[in-house]
Amino acid sequence: MTMKKNLIDFIDISKSYDGNLVLDEFNLYVRENEFVTLLGPSGCGKTTTLRLLGGFETPDTGKILFDSVDITNLPANERKLNTVFQKYSLFPHMSIAENIAFGLKISKKSKQYIEDKIKYALKLVNLDGFEHRSVDSLSGGQQQRIAIARAIVNEPKVLLLDEPLGALDLKLRQNMQYELMRLKEELGITFLYVTHDQEEALTMSDTIVVMNQGYIQQIGTPEMIYNEPENAFVADFIGHSNIIDGTMIEDKLVEILGVKMACVDEGFGKMTPVDVVIRPEDVELVKPEDGYLTGEVTSLIFKGVHYELDVMANGYEWLVHTTQYVPVGTQVGIRVIPFNIQIMHKPESSDEKAVEIDE
Amino acid sequence: MVKKCASRLYMALIFAFLYLPIVVLIILSFNRSNTRVNWKGFTLDWYVRCFQNENIMSAFATTLEITFIAAILATIIGTLAALGISAMKKRGKTIFLGATNIPLLNADIVTGISMMLLFVRFTHLGFVTVLIAHVTFNIPYVILNILPKLKQANRCTYEAALDLGASPLYAFYKVTWPEIRPGVFSGFLMAVTMSLDDFSITYFTKGAGINTLSTMLYTELRKGIKPELYALSTILFFTVLLLLIAANLNPDKITAPVSKRTVYLKRAACTAILASLVLGSLAIFADGSRFSSDGPSITVLNYGKYLDEDALREFEEESGIKVNYEEYEDPEEMYTKYKAGSIDYDVICTSDYIIEKLIQEDEVLEISYDDMPNYQNLNPDIIDMTASFDPKHRYTVPYFYGTLGILYNTELVRPEDVESWDCLWNGSYADDMIMIGSVRDAFAPALITLGYSLNDTDETHLREALDILKAQSAQVSAYYVDETCDEMIAENAAIAVCYSGEAGEAMAENDHLAYSVPKEGSNLWIDSWFIPKTCQNQEGAQKFLDFLCRDDISMANFEYVYYASPNLSVAENQDAELKENEAVNPSEEVLRRCEVYRALNDEKTVLYNSLWQELIGHSS
Repeated sequence: MTMKKNLIDFIDISKSYDGNLVLDEFNLYVRENEFVTLLGPSGCGKTTTLRLLGGFETPDTGKILFDSVDITNLPANERKLNTVFQKYSLFPHMSIAENIAFGLKISKKSKQYIEDKIKYALKLVNLDGFEHRSVDSLSGGQQQRIAIARAIVNEPKVLLLDEPLGALDLKLRQNMQYELMRLKEELGITFLYVTHDQEEALTMSDTIVVMNQGYIQQIGTPEMIYNEPENAFVADFIGHSNIIDGTMIEDKLVEILGVKMACVDEGFGKMTPVDVVIRPEDVELVKPEDGYLTGEVTSLIFKGVHYELDVMANGYEWLVHTTQYVPVGTQVGIRVIPFNIQIMHKPESSDEKAVEIDE
Repeated sequence: MVKKCASRLYMALIFAFLYLPIVVLIILSFNRSNTRVNWKGFTLDWYVRCFQNENIMSAFATTLEITFIAAILATIIGTLAALGISAMKKRGKTIFLGATNIPLLNADIVTGISMMLLFVRFTHLGFVTVLIAHVTFNIPYVILNILPKLKQANRCTYEAALDLGASPLYAFYKVTWPEIRPGVFSGFLMAVTMSLDDFSITYFTKGAGINTLSTMLYTELRKGIKPELYALSTILFFTVLLLLIAANLNPDKITAPVSKRTVYLKRAACTAILASLVLGSLAIFADGSRFSSDGPSITVLNYGKYLDEDALREFEEESGIKVNYEEYEDPEEMYTKYKAGSIDYDVICTSDYIIEKLIQEDEVLEISYDDMPNYQNLNPDIIDMTASFDPKHRYTVPYFYGTLGILYNTELVRPEDVESWDCLWNGSYADDMIMIGSVRDAFAPALITLGYSLNDTDETHLREALDILKAQSAQVSAYYVDETCDEMIAENAAIAVCYSGEAGEAMAENDHLAYSVPKEGSNLWIDSWFIPKTCQNQEGAQKFLDFLCRDDISMANFEYVYYASPNLSVAENQDAELKENEAVNPSEEVLRRCEVYRALNDEKTVLYNSLWQELIGHSS
């Protein structure tokens, strides 16, 4: 993969509403033709970041560069990017065609050009022939696809998407995720996507930016974020995890719940307090005598692909995903292979303290 | 089943209570008879006359001007305010909405009075003050109609438009405006409706000579029966009804699928309305007299229906002085309005005891009678009688006079039975008697019967009078002022205590009626003109008074109201029948036994009022 240039730079952005700090010294860059997702719980600052870029808010301090040009104070209508809003952003009194043509008419495109663009965009979002339908007659998913069509006909360099699938049901949401990925491939433009749905983020993104309380917690590919969360917040937010207090005895050896376990991490020093993350699907259930520790199954829920179990062992309730059927009350042993034990520093910087508050 | 019937009945009752009175009004507007009581066949005459009546038409024009200018201004301001409010944070929004709603919740009369006080402080009441007042009370209606639409529209669409490259103005016009337009339109219609039928606020903020339909109706209806006004009320009712229906239907129409045809029709209708509004406003500004007063003018305040308006036109033509003519009904109300200083009147006509009070309060300017050549046309005997309220005769010009007496039906009552006030107390007309419903006029017969003066203010004497009145109240069928005339024409009572003027009116309608001033004596009232201290054009005012004393003008006014005129030639030159009519021209012998009311001080006014309350409480 060749190194692409930065299309968007957020530099030292701070923003507060009524004395509540929403973004604090926020720095982020987005490269060309990248699918970047801002992921975090509500109130983490992700939507504010998007609105700052869209031009609907101005930062208190810092600046935003677009293609190396400072656009911090440029009005929304003069920015070369388009937004797909959460919902209800279509103009209800206009037909679908008029909605899509809105931006093109403002930029004074020819009639023929506009007509062609509408046809092309509708085809792109799989809604051919919808030109003269009214907004009310469309389903939620169709409306969002029209909103996307309306944005992309203007050929923006960046498409901003503010939880565009939030109002849709699960099945539709999954379909739309694939559509968005296909669109991104076909258009070859940058997507900046905001969501609180970790699955959505993992499915679509090239890069995920996990945010909490105005701070970036981790930036990385979906695999990195999922497999090697940098702190307990990221680990907890990306799927349900077992996060256990532990002590790094030495390189490649950690002690949790009074049991020493082999791991692969190095460089934490000796006898260092750490957080240990073990994903539920990485916990192996074995016979009691074969486990590092033993416990009792306290609950069992069928989830389709797997069962979700709670296992009480050494005073900690382990979350376990397994395909085996293990009835409640069974004594089991717990094992984890060294590669699946993730060691993290305890929070100490101010960024990481925010994590604690959140928990 | 029973429940259903009951609920239907309940609905029917509600509708009956709500609409029956209006139905009666509508029926009366088609009644050939000009009294309220008899049905004499169907006619559309009143509607024709209504449109021929200059008074009504000018009030109608004023109403349209005020309504539409106010509604347009309020719609513009209200729309901007709604946009601002919707963009506010929750706290500010709540505070602002609360403040906006105050005029809605506030009693109209309080709004009206407070606005009057404010306006009087800084300017003169006139067309513009009414306009400002209307704009003020219209704004909340506009805001409340638009806010829900703005909420529906949500900021998202506006931001989406900006995002697509629209400038804020273009985004508003293309995106926000179409969404709130139904709200703006229904807000405008609501404003029109509210302005069209507002009375209280208009009444207090209007200047001399400005009348809207509602204030005109109020004064005219109190003056007496004028079926044109029923016709006008009917038209007004249906206009407001249609506007309300339009205001309520409109939003649904917008969201319904629209065909090209309806779009064009709508556009055409909108254009037509706008065009007429623009033309209307142009017409108003062309008629600059509303906003500026060039040339000399005088502001005249008079009792309602008390002056032939043709005479006014004649005065304007001859003197070149423009007359702002305003009317009132109740002298106490006039006194309050005058004292509030809301309008600078130049010349006022009112009742004897009010003038006495104003003279005592040093509110009256001296008249230089030497500059009034026609003044000598007046009967010196009548002028002498004004000494009771204008002792040195420096301030007043008598206009009309008359008596308090008994109107009776000759079919049921013999003339000799009503020669004494005794007939009121001796039970001969139990439940067939209308007593006058104003305080002093009710007490006067009782005081006289007891042998006291009607100006006696001794509390024990007044209490004795109260006892008589209390005893009488069981036999009284009603206490009336304005309704007496109608009731007697309809022969709903045998006798009624009323003024000679009203008696004369009733007698003209029903030949069975006659009038008597009891031998013990009664009240003589002399309505006179005076020039108040607020006068801005004393020369003009004097010219006007001199004009009124002219023989031909006195005659014209006499023939307009048929009350006794102090003008000698009027007394000479009328029909023998009128001369004989006691209700029109009290004989000298009658005048001798009558007495003019003296002004009461505040303490006695309070006493009178509390006694009156006691009587009313006792009788009901």
